[in-house]
Amino acid sequence: MNPTDSHPPDFEAECLRWLPDLARYARSLARDDDLADDLVQDTVLIAFKSWHQFIRGSESRGWLFTICRNRFYRVHGREARQVAADTPELETLAATALFAAASPQGLGDVFEQEEVVGAVGDAMAALPETYREVALLIDMHDHTYESAARILEIPVGTVRSRLFRARRLLQEQLLTHARDLGFGVARPSAESREGRP
Amino acid sequence: MMPMTDCDAVMRQFWDYLDGELNEATMAAIDAHVQMCSHCNPHIQFERAFKAALRSAREPVAELTPLRDRVRAALAAAGYEAP
Repeated sequence: MNPTDSHPPDFEAECLRWLPDLARYARSLARDDDLADDLVQDTVLIAFKSWHQFIRGSESRGWLFTICRNRFYRVHGREARQVAADTPELETLAATALFAAASPQGLGDVFEQEEVVGAVGDAMAALPETYREVALLIDMHDHTYESAARILEIPVGTVRSRLFRARRLLQEQLLTHARDLGFGVARPSAESREGRP
Repeated sequence: MMPMTDCDAVMRQFWDYLDGELNEATMAAIDAHVQMCSHCNPHIQFERAFKAALRSAREPVAELTPLRDRVRAALAAAGYEAP
């Protein structure tokens, strides 16, 4: 930005209007209110100083999320772990199998149960970072696959595979939690049925 | 004309479908199939409820006025002049 350009005309309209979304995303990343507020402030300042790099007409919300994520990992010395490519098709099949197992156990409506919904935050926090950050962007912050790919600087195919893996891991955790709470009725096994008088 | 679809096609694409990531014709074809299929319908409802559960767990946004004031003060210190 030109140093004399202290009030770029559309910075306010393009960036500051996303403050609520940015605050929510920063809290998701930092999991601490004070750290999150620092992160938001840093993000907006970086955006202001880099405003000349913003491509007019592109998505400013995604641009801010990218800055926010990069800043978070730089400050906290973390590096997004690279993982072997997953196969979205296999993950989709695995999710289908989860439903096929849950439904006859009386768990078909398990994600509508308040006690299970209440466990989503912990399940999300327990996910490996690589998967968590994709699920956060798409399932909690309404980004498209393409927008998430831009923010995370990975191909759309990788977004899909990580997202589908994240959802399967979350479902496994939440279904286990539901069973621990006593939801669902275990279907008698073939052996026990055969042994019944 | 709306393309035909079947259970297998729905199961292979159900996340893309629920995320609205398919083209209009495929979305409509899956919509039509799911509405009439007793096999796919409960599965899609299950996954829809799962996505709703995730969304309901979004981080709450606290009162933003202090943060907004703080950000504006930091911007002013960095030379930004509000229009």
